[in-house]
Amino acid sequence: MSNNTKKLAHKDDIRQPSLVKPPIAAVLSLILPGLGQALARAMRRGLLLLLTIASIGGLLLWRFKLTAPRDEGWVNIIKKGWHLDPFLIAVTVLFALLYIWIAVDAYAIAKDRTRTPIGVFFVLIAVFFALGWQIGQIDIVTLITQADEAGPPLGRVAWPWEKAIAYEQSILAASADIRVPCTGNELAPNEIAGSEPVLIATPTCGTLSTQDGEAGTILHLEGHNFAPGEDTAIKWKDPIGNIFRQRQEGEYVVVIPDAEGYFETDIIMPYRLLPPSATDPFYVWVIFGEQTADVGAAHLSDDFKLVVEKMIETIFIGMMATFFGVILAVPVSFFAARNLMSASPITLAVYYLVRGVLNIIRSIEPIIWAIIAVIVVGLGPFAGILALVFHSIAALGKLYSEAIESIDPGPIEAIQATGATWLQTVVYAVVPQIVPPFVSFTIYRWDINVRMSTIIGLVGGGGIGFLLVQYIRILDYRSAGMAVWFIAITVAILDYVSAEIRARFV
Amino acid sequence: MLEIRNLTKIYDDGTVALKNVSFTVNDGEFLVVIGLSGSGKSTLLRCINRLIDPTEGEIIWNGVDMAQLQGEELRKNRRQIGMIFQHFNLVRRSTVLTNVLAGRLGYTPQRNSLLGRFSENDKQKAWTALRRLGIEDQAHKLARELSGGQQQRVGVARALMQEPLMILADEPVASLDPVLAHSILQYLEALNQEDGMTVLCSLHYLDLVQQYSTRVIGLRDGEIVYHGSRADIRAMTDEEFKDIYGEEAVRVSAGLEGNLNDNAEGAA
Repeated sequence: MSNNTKKLAHKDDIRQPSLVKPPIAAVLSLILPGLGQALARAMRRGLLLLLTIASIGGLLLWRFKLTAPRDEGWVNIIKKGWHLDPFLIAVTVLFALLYIWIAVDAYAIAKDRTRTPIGVFFVLIAVFFALGWQIGQIDIVTLITQADEAGPPLGRVAWPWEKAIAYEQSILAASADIRVPCTGNELAPNEIAGSEPVLIATPTCGTLSTQDGEAGTILHLEGHNFAPGEDTAIKWKDPIGNIFRQRQEGEYVVVIPDAEGYFETDIIMPYRLLPPSATDPFYVWVIFGEQTADVGAAHLSDDFKLVVEKMIETIFIGMMATFFGVILAVPVSFFAARNLMSASPITLAVYYLVRGVLNIIRSIEPIIWAIIAVIVVGLGPFAGILALVFHSIAALGKLYSEAIESIDPGPIEAIQATGATWLQTVVYAVVPQIVPPFVSFTIYRWDINVRMSTIIGLVGGGGIGFLLVQYIRILDYRSAGMAVWFIAITVAILDYVSAEIRARFV
Repeated sequence: MLEIRNLTKIYDDGTVALKNVSFTVNDGEFLVVIGLSGSGKSTLLRCINRLIDPTEGEIIWNGVDMAQLQGEELRKNRRQIGMIFQHFNLVRRSTVLTNVLAGRLGYTPQRNSLLGRFSENDKQKAWTALRRLGIEDQAHKLARELSGGQQQRVGVARALMQEPLMILADEPVASLDPVLAHSILQYLEALNQEDGMTVLCSLHYLDLVQQYSTRVIGLRDGEIVYHGSRADIRAMTDEEFKDIYGEEAVRVSAGLEGNLNDNAEGAA
C-alpha cells in the first residue's frame, strides 16, 4: 500500500469485512432497521438508525392520534389523519422512503467496506424537517393571504399620536325610561317641549332578549331636536347604573339625524344579566341617544398621561431594583471572587456555594421571579422591583466578582512595600482598580433593568408593561402604540447615556 | 547595613526558591543580583521587605531581624526600604501624583490617607521627586497614559517618597528598551552616589551590570554561585557570565540587543 492510500483510508474509516452478504443485510434491515448495518460491522450506525426510525415512528403516530383523536384502531386513525391533514401523507411517504433507504444503505455498507454512504442521512433530515413542519403547524398560505390583517393594528401602533390629543367634549343627550317587564301600568311617553332634544320610545315597556337567543321587544325610537348630521349613539343604562351601547348584528348602533335634527330607528332590546339580588317585580331601564362634539382647545389625553406616568414608574422600578441590587451584590461579590476565597478549603467551599446559588438565581428568568413576587406582595411596582433585585444581585454579583478576580496584584504589592496598612492598601491599590468596572456594570445593569421592567409589567409587576398588556387585551392599539413608542424612546436614550458614561469610566 | 543569614524559602507547592543564602550589603553599595528567571532573584528581594515570608533564616536590617517583625514594627522598617518593580506596579487608573503620594502612606496617619489627605510637606516632596525625574508635567495624567519609561520613573519617584535608606529594584529595566534602561539606571546610580542610598538590584544584561554595579552576586537555582567585586565584574568574560546564565545570556550594546556569540567584544 502506498503512502497516499494510507493517508486516505484512515483506519477508523475501514470496517472489518461484513458478516453477511449485501442482499441479506438489506433484507435484515427491512425486518429491523439498522440490523443489516450492525451485522455489516457498522454497529453504531445501525444503532443510530434504529433509534432514529423508532423516534420518528413514535412522533408520527403521535401526530396521527392528535389529528384524529376520536377514531379507534391505528388503521382508521391513519386513514382519517391522511384525510384531515394531507400534509401527513407527505410525511408518511418520506418515512417510508427512509425505511427503504435504510435497507439500501445496509446493502451498500455490506458490499464495500471502504465506503461510507451518507445519502440516508439526507433522507433522515428531510423526514425530521417534514415532521417539524407538521408539528409547528407552519402555514405559509395563511401568512401570505392574510398578511394584510396586520395592517390596521400595525398602523395604529406605528403612529398612535391621534390618541395623545383630546378635546373637551360637549354631550347632547335625551333619554326615555323603559319598564321591564310590561306590567299593564305603563309610563307615559316623552313629549316634545321647546327646542330641547327629546327621545320618544314606543312602547315604554318590554322584555329583554334572553340568553337562548329569544329576541326581546322591538322598540321604535324617535329623536327630535338633535344636532343635524352628527353621529348619535344609542346607549342603555341598566337598573344598577351600568351604561352600555346598543348593538345590532354585532355593530354599535349609530344614527344620523336629518336637517331638522330628527331621526327614527328600531332596536331589539338587548340581553343583559342582572345580579341575583335583583328580585323586584319590575325595573326601569333607561335608553338614550347621545351626541358628542369636540369643543374647546386640544389637550393631552388621559391615555397619554397614563402612559407617561407608567413610563416614569418603570424607570424608577429599574432604578430602585438596581439600587438594592448593587447594595446586596457588592458584599456577595467578594465571596464569589476566587482570588480572595482560595486561601483555605472552607473559604473555597463558600466560594463554590455562593457561585452556585448565583448561577441558579441568574438562570431563572426575572419574569418567573415576578410571578413569585406577585404572589407574595401582590400586583404592582414593588413586585417588579423584587423580581429585578433578585436577578440583579445574581448578575451583578457575577460581574463584580469577575472584576475583583481580574485585579492586578502588582500595585497591591507596591503599596504594601511602602509600609502602608491593610486598609490603606485596599483604598489605594484595590479600590481604584475595581471602581471603574463596578460603575460600568452598574449603569449597564440599570439599562437592562429598565428594559426588563417592561417585560415584568406583563405579569403584573407594575410599570408600563402592565399598561401595555391591558391596552393590547382591550384592542386599544393606539394607546398600546403610545406605550411602545415611549418604551422605545426611553430605551434608546438610556442605551446612549449608559454607553457614554461607560466609555468615560473604562 | 543588611545582613542575610541562611535564608531559605520553600513555597507551598514545594518549590525551593532559595537555599541557604547568606550575604552582606554594606551601606552605600550598588549590589547587583544576577541570574536566570526562576533562579530566586525576585523571591530574595521580596523576602528582604517581607512581601514574601521566608521559611527560614535571618534578615538583619540595621540590627533588626526583619524576618521576625509583625504589624506596626514591620511597616515602620518597611518604609525605610523603597522598591521598584519590573512591571512598574503603578495603579494604572490613578493619577501620577496620587501614585507618587502613595509612597508616603507609611508616614501618613491612616484616617487622613483614607480621605486622600496628605500634608503640604508631602505634596512638596512629591513635586520635588517628580521634578527630579523630569515628569513634572505628567503629574495630573493617569498612570496608564504614560509610556513605559515614564511609568518606571513614577515608580522611582514613589520609592523616593519613602526617603528610603535602601532601594530594592526587581529587574527595573527588563520591560524597557536599552536606551531607557540606561536612563533609569542612571537615576538609581545618582541616588546611590549623591544621596548615599544603598541599592540592591537584579539585572539581566552583563554590560549594565559591569557599568553600574559595585558588587555582584550570582544566583542559580536558589543558591549563590558567584560573588564578585567591582574589579571582578569588569574583568568578567562572556564565558563566565554564561556559566551563571547558561546559553541564553544576552548583552545590551550601545542600545542594540544581540546574542553574545555574535557580539563577543561589545562595548560596555
